[in-house]
Amino acid sequence: MTINTVSSNYLATAMLPAVKQAQTQLATLQTETASGQYADLGLQLGAQSGYELSLRNQSNLLTSMTTANSITATNMTSAQNALTSIQSSASDSVKSLVALTSGANSPTTLQSLGTSNLQQLLALANTSSGGDYVFGGQNLTSAPLNNYFSSPSSTAKTAIDTAFQSYFGFSTTSPNVTTITATQLNSFLSGSYALQFQGSNWTTSWSTASNSNMTTQIAPNTTITSSTNANTSGFRSLAQGYTMLSEFGNIGLSASAQQALSLTATNVINNGVSGVIDAQATLGQSQGALNSANAQMSAQVTLLQQQVSSFDSVDMAKIASELTQVSTQLQASYQITSKLSKLNLAQYLPA
Amino acid sequence: MTLSSAMNIVDSSFRAIGTQSSNIASNISNANTPGYSAEIANLGTTAYGGVEVFSITRNANAALTAQVNIATSESAMQSVLATGVATLAQTVSDSSNATSTGALANGASPAAMLGNLQSALSTYQSAPNSLTLAQAAVSAAKGLAGSLNGAAQAVTQVRTQADNQIAQDVASVNSLLNQLTTVNNAVISGLGVGDNVGSLQDKRDQLVKQISQYIGVNTSINGNGSIGLFTDGGATLFQTAPYQLTFQPSGTLGAAAAGNQVLINGVPITGAPSNTPIQSGEIAGLVNLRDKVAPQYQSQLDQIAGNLITAFQETDQSTTTLGLPPQPGLFTASGLTGVPASSNFTGLANSIAINATVDPAQGGNPNLLRDGGISDTTSTNYTYNSTGQAGFTGRLQQLLTGLGATMSFSSLAGLPTATSLTNFAQSSVSWIQAANQTATSNSTYQQSLLSRASSALGNATGVNLDSELTNMLTIESSYQASAKLLTAANSMLTSLLHAV
Repeated sequence: MTINTVSSNYLATAMLPAVKQAQTQLATLQTETASGQYADLGLQLGAQSGYELSLRNQSNLLTSMTTANSITATNMTSAQNALTSIQSSASDSVKSLVALTSGANSPTTLQSLGTSNLQQLLALANTSSGGDYVFGGQNLTSAPLNNYFSSPSSTAKTAIDTAFQSYFGFSTTSPNVTTITATQLNSFLSGSYALQFQGSNWTTSWSTASNSNMTTQIAPNTTITSSTNANTSGFRSLAQGYTMLSEFGNIGLSASAQQALSLTATNVINNGVSGVIDAQATLGQSQGALNSANAQMSAQVTLLQQQVSSFDSVDMAKIASELTQVSTQLQASYQITSKLSKLNLAQYLPA
Repeated sequence: MTLSSAMNIVDSSFRAIGTQSSNIASNISNANTPGYSAEIANLGTTAYGGVEVFSITRNANAALTAQVNIATSESAMQSVLATGVATLAQTVSDSSNATSTGALANGASPAAMLGNLQSALSTYQSAPNSLTLAQAAVSAAKGLAGSLNGAAQAVTQVRTQADNQIAQDVASVNSLLNQLTTVNNAVISGLGVGDNVGSLQDKRDQLVKQISQYIGVNTSINGNGSIGLFTDGGATLFQTAPYQLTFQPSGTLGAAAAGNQVLINGVPITGAPSNTPIQSGEIAGLVNLRDKVAPQYQSQLDQIAGNLITAFQETDQSTTTLGLPPQPGLFTASGLTGVPASSNFTGLANSIAINATVDPAQGGNPNLLRDGGISDTTSTNYTYNSTGQAGFTGRLQQLLTGLGATMSFSSLAGLPTATSLTNFAQSSVSWIQAANQTATSNSTYQQSLLSRASSALGNATGVNLDSELTNMLTIESSYQASAKLLTAANSMLTSLLHAV
């Protein structure tokens, strides 16, 4: 037979595959119009699927890191605010001390200055944010500084009383305190008294904070120190200064010893202020790093999402024109099928 | 020349017309039978000047038939391959729901789940005292283990189904070969006595086409009209009698299990042990799927699972340095003692799970993720957080770093051998989707080739109603003319008889 032969069966069904294909295409295009994305992304992207997925993963990671950073930022802000309060009241108390030292030295005022400031320091040091104590270092679960004024007497207070007793041979309530000279007092304050605020004395009697600060990964490959702790020199010096005033400010010291007490307290509190400022500066650096990491990640996320959508999204204009083409093709197929069915000799032969 | 001889010639014409009409009738009635080859009645002159149908030619075309058979085999092979790979690719189907956002929009592939775990760990380490975040990280880990289990199950399912399908196909081929024997014998005996065996030959061609759906075949026709059937690998399938195919299905095919091969008379025609492996047809596709594509994907999943266990392993933290071996941490698998060596990763994707001691659903403590000691809750030998502080982030950050660190992967997986776990998982997604894309496009291409070949064969051998009707008209005229001739001869004879 020649190549011109055609089978009637095949002629009648010639359009079927075309119709089927067009209908499948129509269904796909409809899905794509509805979602704005490729109907079968994996089939569309093939070997690029993994890359597209890595962009999505990266974008998700950065987004969740940014979200998580807000927790870290809140904690650091709480700490920073507390440090600011601590620092400003310490500076104020130094001013008052200077005024008191140069003017009439009122023992009651000295004592209450120390007591109220120490109470405030303890309260601020136990600031918590979202249930976590911000000055605990890695110890988030217990209040960093113990209550000095607790009843029965706290370990810290007992230890200081004992130190006084063993140094002078009498207690603070003894009338003998008037005999203490300025030199004796200074030597006590810089000696056995100061030791109470150092090393294991501090960490057993005063503080439950951890010396290690928390580290937090704020961006891929960027880790910051995200907390400070109540064992830093600022806290210790302030506690040392305030306790000095609170304990010995109103025990009936001689005028010269009282003068020496004020001076020492001023120095110690001043040291504390600079310690607190140091801590603030360190924390501020971490805050700055976090903000810049957030800004950078947000820019990155925007870029990544653009890339992802360039992979996933279909061109709506293209879809619309394809839809028109396919429906035209489908109509043509129907028309041809109907025309072909009429092209049959049997229709034209006399019965 | 006598009047009676004229009558005889007219008679022969009627007989020829009868045969031709029945031929046309049969052609027209089979116009819509797929695989029917139109038959042509060949006319010739008899010795005394009459006409006769001396043969009926079957409008066959061996070359086109062979092409359709080849296209059928190729198309069947690519089609089962595409279906299987698409099933595997569903385990990494992403953006199944365009409206979902965040982690959900990433789909359920192990790579996406790994990304989720990374995000969850990263969030957890920013607030290590949060039990909620610890639970979220554990549940992300669970999701990852579940995703690996699911994908490995899909592999097992695809392989098992392929194995069962091979068994069914082998049974079909055997039954078709038996039918072929019957039909072939009928053709031989029909030819021997000179019958019209056209419809039997059609039937035989159809059987061969059906067989080529399962196995790629070549045919040859012997002198007596008998057919010979050979696989495209060269093994004999049929030569006067069928060669029996045998296959032992394996039931469920686990990660490490290899399936059996298809044998002809005890000789393998599939897989590595065969010298004459079949190249196309559904069986070849299924064997390829069962023995190559799916196992490779399984190996990738196993590598992910094994290295995941390694990345989350816990090392000796005892202060006295007891020299304890590393133990599986967050991720473990049933029956695992110690961290598996990279040569023992097979099947881990099926069994990977999170450790019960860290899973709150099984009474575990999710905070162990932060502190370590998942592998040993009775001592502190594997506890990283020695001070027990709630703000300890060192271990979590170590784990996060571990996910990005370069690890070694088996070359059997066919992916980069030294890369990070996240990259490897993503490469696996690329691999399976690329395979899916290729298989689908091959399948579409082969289907269109098959449709072309079929229509070419159909057009060459099928029935054209218009030409049959035209032939009918011609025959009708020829019948009228013969009748006239008969009437004329009859009247002449009558006149002659009157004259006598």
